[in-house]
Amino acid sequence: MEERTEIPPGTLYMLILKTLMRLGPMHGYGIARHIQQISEDVLTVEEGSLYPALQRMLIKGWLVAEWKQSENNRRARFYRLTPAGRKQLTAEMAEFERVMGAIARVIQPA
Amino acid sequence: MIGEFLRRLGYYLRRRQFEEELDEEMRHHLSLKERDADFGEGAGKHFGNVTLLQEDSRAMWAWTFWEQLLQDLRYAVRTMIANRAFTALAVLSLALGIGANTAIYSFMDAILLRALPVSDPESLVVMNWHAKNATHWGEFVMHSMDGHSWEDAGGESSGIFPFPAFDLFRQNVSDFASVFAYYPAEVLNVTAKGQAEVAHGEYVSGDYFRGLAVPPAAGRLLMPDDDRAAAPPVVVLGHAYSQRRFGVAANAAGQSIFIDNVAFTVVGVTPPGFFGVDPAAAPDVYLPMHANVLVEAADQFGFRAEGYLDANYYWVEVMARLRPGVGRAQAQAALAPQFHRWVEGTADNDAERANLPALVLKEGAAGLENLRREYSKPLLVLLALVGLILALACANVANLLLARAAARRREMALRLSIGAGRFRLVRQLLTESVLLASLGGGLGVLIAIWGIRFLTLLLANGETNFTLHAQLNWHVLGAAAVLSLLTGVLFGLAPALQSTRFNVIPALKESRTSQTAARHSFWRVSLSQVLVAGQIAISLLMLVAAGLFVKTLSNLQSIDLGFNRENVLLFELNAAQAGHKSPEISTFYGDLRKHLSEIPGVRSVSLSNRSLIRAGWSIPVTAPGAEQSRNDRLMAIGPAFFSTMQIPILTGREILESDRSPAVAVINERYAKAHFGSRNPLGQHLTLWKEKQAARDMEIIGISKDARYGGLKNEIPPVAYIAYDQGYPEPDRMVYELRTAGDPLMYVKSVREIVHRADPRVPVSDIKSQAADIDQTINQEIVFARLCSGFALLGLVIACVGLYGTVAYSVARRTGEIGIRMALGAQRGAVVRMILGQVFVLAAVGMAIGLPTALITSKLVGSFLYGMKPNDPLTLTLAVAILMAAALLAGYAPARRASGIDPMTALRHE
Repeated sequence: MEERTEIPPGTLYMLILKTLMRLGPMHGYGIARHIQQISEDVLTVEEGSLYPALQRMLIKGWLVAEWKQSENNRRARFYRLTPAGRKQLTAEMAEFERVMGAIARVIQPA
Repeated sequence: MIGEFLRRLGYYLRRRQFEEELDEEMRHHLSLKERDADFGEGAGKHFGNVTLLQEDSRAMWAWTFWEQLLQDLRYAVRTMIANRAFTALAVLSLALGIGANTAIYSFMDAILLRALPVSDPESLVVMNWHAKNATHWGEFVMHSMDGHSWEDAGGESSGIFPFPAFDLFRQNVSDFASVFAYYPAEVLNVTAKGQAEVAHGEYVSGDYFRGLAVPPAAGRLLMPDDDRAAAPPVVVLGHAYSQRRFGVAANAAGQSIFIDNVAFTVVGVTPPGFFGVDPAAAPDVYLPMHANVLVEAADQFGFRAEGYLDANYYWVEVMARLRPGVGRAQAQAALAPQFHRWVEGTADNDAERANLPALVLKEGAAGLENLRREYSKPLLVLLALVGLILALACANVANLLLARAAARRREMALRLSIGAGRFRLVRQLLTESVLLASLGGGLGVLIAIWGIRFLTLLLANGETNFTLHAQLNWHVLGAAAVLSLLTGVLFGLAPALQSTRFNVIPALKESRTSQTAARHSFWRVSLSQVLVAGQIAISLLMLVAAGLFVKTLSNLQSIDLGFNRENVLLFELNAAQAGHKSPEISTFYGDLRKHLSEIPGVRSVSLSNRSLIRAGWSIPVTAPGAEQSRNDRLMAIGPAFFSTMQIPILTGREILESDRSPAVAVINERYAKAHFGSRNPLGQHLTLWKEKQAARDMEIIGISKDARYGGLKNEIPPVAYIAYDQGYPEPDRMVYELRTAGDPLMYVKSVREIVHRADPRVPVSDIKSQAADIDQTINQEIVFARLCSGFALLGLVIACVGLYGTVAYSVARRTGEIGIRMALGAQRGAVVRMILGQVFVLAAVGMAIGLPTALITSKLVGSFLYGMKPNDPLTLTLAVAILMAAALLAGYAPARRASGIDPMTALRHE
């Protein structure tokens, strides 16, 4: 198996939220695939962390799930953003930019 | 919180749907992934650990922890039922270990940890003094002492003070404490409703009950006004005693009773459970301090009113209750200088001034230390021993679990490979071991209940006023529970870690029978071998301890007494306390002796002021031209004492009934040697002094062989035996000796009848055989020898079971290898030798660890031994021999089995 970069800790929720914002309702595989493609194969989402994360987000009320027909004509669980999820995304992105900016300032050559 | 609860509850209602949906989602994911992989895109067919993923997802919805615990418990119970023999063995050995520990701990709890049953015991302090170099008598301000004192670091300590010192404390502490005093009354004759009985009493100062802050159960308790020189005689009864004599406590108040023939009024009863300030005593009656002059007026050596003024007579014990916010150190800092100034004024000369006692305030929450001083070290030794038993049991169970874990390697490997987390497996294995330990603990508590009863019986050894009462309380049960949990984790952790730490693939490939034969080659030391060697070492330690204590006891029991202890009945009475006075009292005792000797089967009767083994009396008696020696001892005896006790008379004769005047005496060999040297003592005279006046002149009529006096272990002192009825000192308390045909205890009933007929006001007490009287003085040694032998045997059995299990298991695993050896021509004997050789090496390694440890630790019990050194070579040799024999015996059965292996079957097995 080739080397892949794991998702940085703490950012998985944000990536999932953003993906759903972009694509609209989507199933788990689609979310993982999207993150991988957009990141040009730098980021890989392991199933072992994706599905538990989705469950956790359902519990927190950021997502809702419904069963729909998928592209291969099978039943799949589609996840959709809730207003709470949108709010969470905004908050997480703001926080992320704040931290990234700070890190950038630290590592910038003087 | 509530939302979470509903969510989790909801999960259980639609659990199937949840699982199915998750499953479908995974399948969907996989199918899309496969499709993309076929097109050469995506992440490939690799998919993460599905089981783990499902468990993680489930964890958010369900009470996974409890659910898994339940699962584990179910699984553990099923495994236990499937391995009944294993479970029974493990639970039993743990139960024995935990039970023994709980029982011993409950005694420690009773003695060392329990506080007095009074309110706010923490604010109580006990006054003690400490003085250096207490060896030279006569260089002290303590001119006479009446009470406990004990040697400690660099001198002597005690809790007794002169009464003026108590007055000093009373006057100077009022702003930060209140003080009260007490001292034990000896055995009293208490007559209530015409029935005379002996009772234990305590003299207490008027503010004793107020200071301890105990409420009355009936009537009222003693008050300062009761404790005056001319106050009307009143008394307070202990709760249990009031019930025994008057049915219910409430009936006791207002009753009139006689104490040593003095009329007292019962004014009240102490609350149930109250036992005074000394856990070693449980007074039946509490008398006002100043009543002692009244009670002891008729006693020739009794307390006199001058005692209250004597600043050099130490006798009264003092306790203080500190006011809130006052610390012990603070109180000591305030009082110690005052006491120092006072005690300095009581010194007669410079020698006394150079060696003054210093005031020390001790914690009083648990009462006086007498019981603790006596039992804390023996109990610590016992606790160490039972701790070792528990360690043995733990090692055994760990070993059994290890063996089983090895057998479950494939199961573990399979579970790991399908995604079980290692932590999860360890948790499950630990659940099993903790369950085992809990069962062991539960059974252990039952064993402890029985053990406490047994130990109490053993420790009391027939003493009627035995006051050490241990019981199972919440402390003890808590300790047992913690112990069980701890042992469960302790013996479960190592096997659990080991059985889950391996490479999955090879473990899965192993066949069931040939599991890692190579790994098991002997010189690769396995955890189980370490455990067995440790068990052998511990076992050796316990055998050595048992050997030392048993030999000590046998040394004590083979001491030459100088008299015949068999078939002698002893009992005690005090006619003086019932009102008999001199000279009539001598007639009373003499007549009683005649009546007793008329009992059929009684060969001869005599009496003495104490039993030989508890004797210890000295008042000045001098041989002509010699000074009174501090080592000399006296004994007041009746006629025929030497023939009754069967002490040989070397020359002359013993004291007879017909000896009236002149007064006579018999001396023992040592007395003759010490005071007459080579001269013939017969016909010489001894003088007995009363306050520097000659009170009795006695002719020496015989020399007896030396007989034990005042204990088994101490050297026999020079003793002069004088007639009890020939003047000063007058007889008071007397012990009768009856030489009987057959079991002396058969005569108890006749004795009671005869004494009752002679005078019902004189109660008989301490009826026992001479043998029991002696055994009570070496009770600690008897208890140690019995308990340690029991413990050592138990330990040996546990260690042998462990050894047997380990060897049997290793033989079972090496069936194939042994088969090959035999196929290649190894003889059966050679196989047996090979296995036994391994047992021998294991045992030898264990002993190599145990022997030096035993040599070092046996020094710690040096003070418990008699007539031998801690590194007694015979004991050590015997312990090693017994252990080696037991080890080889335990190894022999599996070795025989190994030699019976049929090569063909074994190889086909492979």
